[in-house]
Amino acid sequence: MTPLDPNQVKERSEALLQSAKTVLGSWAAAIAAPAPNRIDVTLTPDDLERAVSTLVTARWGYLAAITGLDIGVTSGMLEVLYHFCSDAVIVTLRVQIPRENPAVPSICDKIPYADLYERELMEMFGITVTNTPSPTRLFVAEDWPEGVFPLRKDAPVQEPTIRA
Amino acid sequence: MNLDKVFTDALDQVKLWARLNSPWAVHFNSGSCNGCDIEILATLTPRYDVERFGIKLQGSPRHADVLICTGPVTRQARERLLRVYEQMPEPKFVIAVGSCGISGGVFDGCYNVVGCIDKVIPVDVYVPGCPPRPEAIIDGVVKLLGKLQGAAAPKPAAAPESSKAEVVHDPA
Repeated sequence: MTPLDPNQVKERSEALLQSAKTVLGSWAAAIAAPAPNRIDVTLTPDDLERAVSTLVTARWGYLAAITGLDIGVTSGMLEVLYHFCSDAVIVTLRVQIPRENPAVPSICDKIPYADLYERELMEMFGITVTNTPSPTRLFVAEDWPEGVFPLRKDAPVQEPTIRA
Repeated sequence: MNLDKVFTDALDQVKLWARLNSPWAVHFNSGSCNGCDIEILATLTPRYDVERFGIKLQGSPRHADVLICTGPVTRQARERLLRVYEQMPEPKFVIAVGSCGISGGVFDGCYNVVGCIDKVIPVDVYVPGCPPRPEAIIDGVVKLLGKLQGAAAPKPAAAPESSKAEVVHDPA
């Protein structure tokens, strides 16, 4: 097997990035390039489903992960990141939602395996994922209190128990 | 002389002899990163092969003498650890393997962690290390057996006090 030509790899990545930009262009509120081979596409929650649909119908890469992000209590917002990968390229769809009644639509009808990510998002950040197929608890302990979301910045901190 | 006492004493001696010569262990991971578990496997498998000393991994806690427990205790594992411990017949002994089992280690204070193993069940021997080497784990078992041998009378049914436990130093 011949080794990959770095220039060819770069060209391919740039073509992928360009196609992602073309596909997502009409929904994007902003497009940032945080790293080579990477773009962040900021969306409103209403556009999310349509943006995911276009990526799926265009067969652009695959959903690699959904990340929840608490960007701080003062900002009053939470963020949800949908990472799509194709080859060496990562396209992240960023959606900001208010801390009060945070909700994003489910994408399980388009990408069935997003189920686990969405359940984790609900348990760890208290984000309501509307129309997700199984909204019951899965990850946190059985005795975990309702209404406490461990990965939020304002979650209660458990004191370490290390003995002197 | 009371014949019953002679009989029970002899029986206790046989039991102690059997226990010292072939302790059966059950292994439980209460939230470990798997590092310690892999060292326990290395201890049991042919490289260190503790079965030649009679130490045998037993699948069921109902047939085991020693509970080898690794990792901090997570909230989810707490009930399961207690259940496994309670299923073991008396007398039973617990070896906490690894830093996390001793203090909670890097997981201490985490939202899903209760803490170290002796917050949940009494521990007889602590084997520190991250992970401890198989030599240290074997030394822990030997220390436990030494403690049993040292005890003139067979162990009372009461749970052992963790403060009396021995700390084994990692030779590595």
